[in-house]
Amino acid sequence: MRIAIAAVAGVLLAALASFGAVQLANASQQEPVIKPLYGYGSR
Amino acid sequence: MKRTGWVWPGVTGLVLGLLALGPGLAPGFLLSFDMVFTPGPRFSAMTFGLTGTVPRHVPSDAFGVALAHVLPGDVAQKAVLLGIFVLASMAAASLVPTRRVVPRVAAGAVYAWNPFVAERLLLGHWAFLLGYAALPLVAGAAARAAEPGGGRRLTRALVPAAIGGFAGVAVSALVAGAVVLCRPERKRGLAKAVAAVVVLSLPWLVTGWLRPSGMPGAPEGVGAFAARADTPFGALGSLFTLGGAWNAATVPPGYGTPLLAVVWLVVVVASVVAFARTRTDGTAGLAIAAGAGYVLAALGVVAAPLLRGLIEAWPGFAVLRDGQQYVAPLAVVVAVGFGVLADRAADRRLDALGVLAVLLPLVLLPGLAWGAAGRLRPVHYPDAWARAREIVRADPVPGDVLILPWATYREYPWNGGRTSLDALPRYLDRRGILSDAVVIGRTVVPAEDPRARALDPVVRAGGPLTARLAAHGIRYVAFDAETSGNAYYARLGGAQRVLADADLVLYRLPDPARPREDSAPAALAGTAWAVTLMSVVWSFAASGITLATRSLRHPRGKAP
Repeated sequence: MRIAIAAVAGVLLAALASFGAVQLANASQQEPVIKPLYGYGSR
Repeated sequence: MKRTGWVWPGVTGLVLGLLALGPGLAPGFLLSFDMVFTPGPRFSAMTFGLTGTVPRHVPSDAFGVALAHVLPGDVAQKAVLLGIFVLASMAAASLVPTRRVVPRVAAGAVYAWNPFVAERLLLGHWAFLLGYAALPLVAGAAARAAEPGGGRRLTRALVPAAIGGFAGVAVSALVAGAVVLCRPERKRGLAKAVAAVVVLSLPWLVTGWLRPSGMPGAPEGVGAFAARADTPFGALGSLFTLGGAWNAATVPPGYGTPLLAVVWLVVVVASVVAFARTRTDGTAGLAIAAGAGYVLAALGVVAAPLLRGLIEAWPGFAVLRDGQQYVAPLAVVVAVGFGVLADRAADRRLDALGVLAVLLPLVLLPGLAWGAAGRLRPVHYPDAWARAREIVRADPVPGDVLILPWATYREYPWNGGRTSLDALPRYLDRRGILSDAVVIGRTVVPAEDPRARALDPVVRAGGPLTARLAAHGIRYVAFDAETSGNAYYARLGGAQRVLADADLVLYRLPDPARPREDSAPAALAGTAWAVTLMSVVWSFAASGITLATRSLRHPRGKAP
């Protein structure tokens, strides 16, 4: 039972990690936002 | 707790810090928003808040300069940043009521690796994060403040927050106050807590309070600095999941996507519930601090007119403007609750789940890894900056440096176009004057520096600048952006161009008037520093190893 729970948790973690990696890759490939010069940032 | 009990949380924090900074650990400086470290900095009037500017950088700048006298500036910066991760992990681990290693490590991992840390790190609030890292220690020390030696213990725990200045102290004071009020002998505990907070705040309290031009509140900044949604759960849900910083550019890549956000929300809810069922000294106070902090964090979102009114009534309430900072106590609750969950898994002999729990924060927030996915990259200051410093340093004629373009923040090409505070005022040894008005989208928070306000019409008006700037005590005009064909050059007739480089152009003005600057009395500021430093020394004297005492007592011990 413990092994089964650990296996399920491991699969879940691996799935989340894969999803996170894909999201990360997508985010890094987005077009750069043109920011106004000298601003502190935007909301 | 045995002293060795700190090792694994500490190692975990160090590994997480190394992973978070990644390539940022290479030689060079990390310039991100408000985080500015420079090579070979010197103590100056500005360091101690004696230039008339609002002393937000007191005493963190002094800490940075002092550290840079021991280590190279960039090494000092990395040491501080790694120290935040190590301290955060160790401190959070200390509050988990178990002797098992894995649950404490899991709590440390969540506390050191979450959206709050990521967004504040990218925003460059390293000094505030020092206070955040020590917040669990403050909670633990406050729970025992009324005991003999409790005042010293609490003062020690508050030192990192004191380095962070008023924002760091405000959050820590909230936690310390709530915890001591929920304990027996609350009067004695409260007296010690108030004394510790006040004494450690003196350097910025004195310079801020006695600032001749008063403390600006700038209520127009309430909307700009209010929490924003960085998850599908809106601003309030984002705050609950420890994100929600006002600046969209500080959201780690990949954070807030629905699947990861939902899983993280489940983790947060489960952790908060687990914490609520935990009964140890100080947990009630910590829960109240977390709730109060969440309300304060949400003020700018749900009650902006109220917050504006408060700031108009007393500018000191401006400390609530960047409200997201106040979810820090909730992060402590989440971390401890997460550790408790991992401990329960161990109770049920599901040790593997506990190990996976340690990895979960990384899985849910991969965007913090490797220099926040490339957003923290080390850079070297251009050679022209060093030459400018030598020129200015060698000049015996007094006078200040006006820095153009007339703005606070830069996107230096040599810093990859990443936004950072203009580093020149800290890089040069002389007083640097720039427009400290802050632009956020279409909102402009007015300048606070009286010298900048006085020079603003001069800079913005047309016509020759040289004589008018010299009359204001300006000896140099430095351009650290838009150096190619700047229209201002034509207005500096009679000034000598002493340095011309793509990264910096420097003009020297003849016959500047002697600069005059109103600030808090230096003698009083010096006395404040002396009292604070003596109290810090007193708190550490004969204390043994600071972190080696258990912070929160737990009624039942468990086998490791």
